[in-house]
This record gives sequence, C-alpha cells and structure tokens, in this order.
Amino acid sequence: MRNLKLKFRRIELEMSQTKLAEIVGVTRQTIGLIEAGDYNPSLKLCIAICKALDATLNDLFWEDGENEKK
Amino acid sequence: MKRNKSNLDERQEQTLLRIEHNGCWLAYWGLLAVMIIQIILGVDLENLAGEQIVFMLLALYISAGCWKHGIWDRRLKPDLLSNTVISLIAAFITGMLGFIHTAREYPDKIFGSIAVGIVYAIMAFAVGFVLLQFSAQLLKKKQSKLEEELPEDEEE
Repeated sequence: MRNLKLKFRRIELEMSQTKLAEIVGVTRQTIGLIEAGDYNPSLKLCIAICKALDATLNDLFWEDGENEKK
Repeated sequence: MKRNKSNLDERQEQTLLRIEHNGCWLAYWGLLAVMIIQIILGVDLENLAGEQIVFMLLALYISAGCWKHGIWDRRLKPDLLSNTVISLIAAFITGMLGFIHTAREYPDKIFGSIAVGIVYAIMAFAVGFVLLQFSAQLLKKKQSKLEEELPEDEEE
C-alpha cells in the first residue's frame, strides 16, 4: 500500500526524497520504497521522518479503515 | 580498534542480512550435498575431513546461537513426534549412504552392504533421536530461564 500521506507532506514542504533521506540518515531508495509501500520502516525511522516533516505518526503512518482495504 | 560507522541504512542492513542468511544456508546445504555426492562416488571419508569440519562448525554455531536465544525452528516444535520424524529421515539418508558406500567397495557382498546400511540407519536414528530430545530439554530450560529474566508483566 503506497504511503501517499508521506509523499504529499514531503511535496507540501518542497522537500526532495534526497533531502529527506539525508536528514533522516537513509538512502533515497529507502524513502522511495517507503512511499511506494514496498518497505515497512522501523518505528525509529518513522519518528525521524515525522520530525523531519514536522508531522505526527498519525499524520503520516496511520491508515484508516478505507485505506487499509486498498 | 574502533569500528567504522555502517554505510548502510536499516533497509539495506535488512537486505544484507537476508543475503547473508541465504548465503549461509547455501553453504550449509551445499556442503552437505558435496559430502553426500562424494560418499556416493566412493571418496574415502578421511578425504572429506575439511568439509566435515566446516559443516560441523557451521551446525554448532547455528545450534548454539539458537539455544542462546531460546529458538528451536520456524515451523517445527521440539516435541516427540517431530523429533521422531526428523530422526527417521536422517536414519534413512544415513542408511542409504552406508549401503551405497559399502556396495561400491564390496560389489559382491550385497547382503553385507544392506546389513551395514541397516546398522548405520539404526545408529543414526538412535544418536539423532537422543540428541534432539536432549536438545529439546535443554531448550525448554533455557526458555524458562529467559522468561524468568524478563521484568514482571504489570497487568498480571
């Protein structure tokens, strides 16, 4: 399941995948895979991403019922 | 000496661990296959010493690591039925290898070769079964110990 919330928030802040990856200390590929829903990050990385994007875990990683079915 | 900081992020680390995991099992089963093929081809057991040492070290390392962390297997349980089935499979393979190895060396003594195969199978079953049962008991003790070391569950 793609993580569009993360992608939209990053775009909202005009931040590239490379920049976000640099801030949280991972590769751009990892950010790409998280956004594509192909990699489940650790809680530690989720928190780092939330801090970098000034958002909460709920904002970026919580899926409501409708999205979970997709 | 201070270790260099890892160049990998957590996803790459997981991927590398998966690759190393596959490599480890490839080496393990590959060595076993090589030894079986060489036994079938009639290579003297003394000439397999190198393979046997590496194989046994690998097996010991994996067993000790699993025991330390209270792990038995992903799918199998350390119970009587599983241990019996595994020992029977090992006994069958060992018996067949014993038979083939002896039959190649003494082609005119087929009944003797069968007897050797049966003796090998019985021995492999006995050793395998006892070892598995003993390991299962050790593991259960280790699991209890690990459980005791955990802080109390507040809800209990």
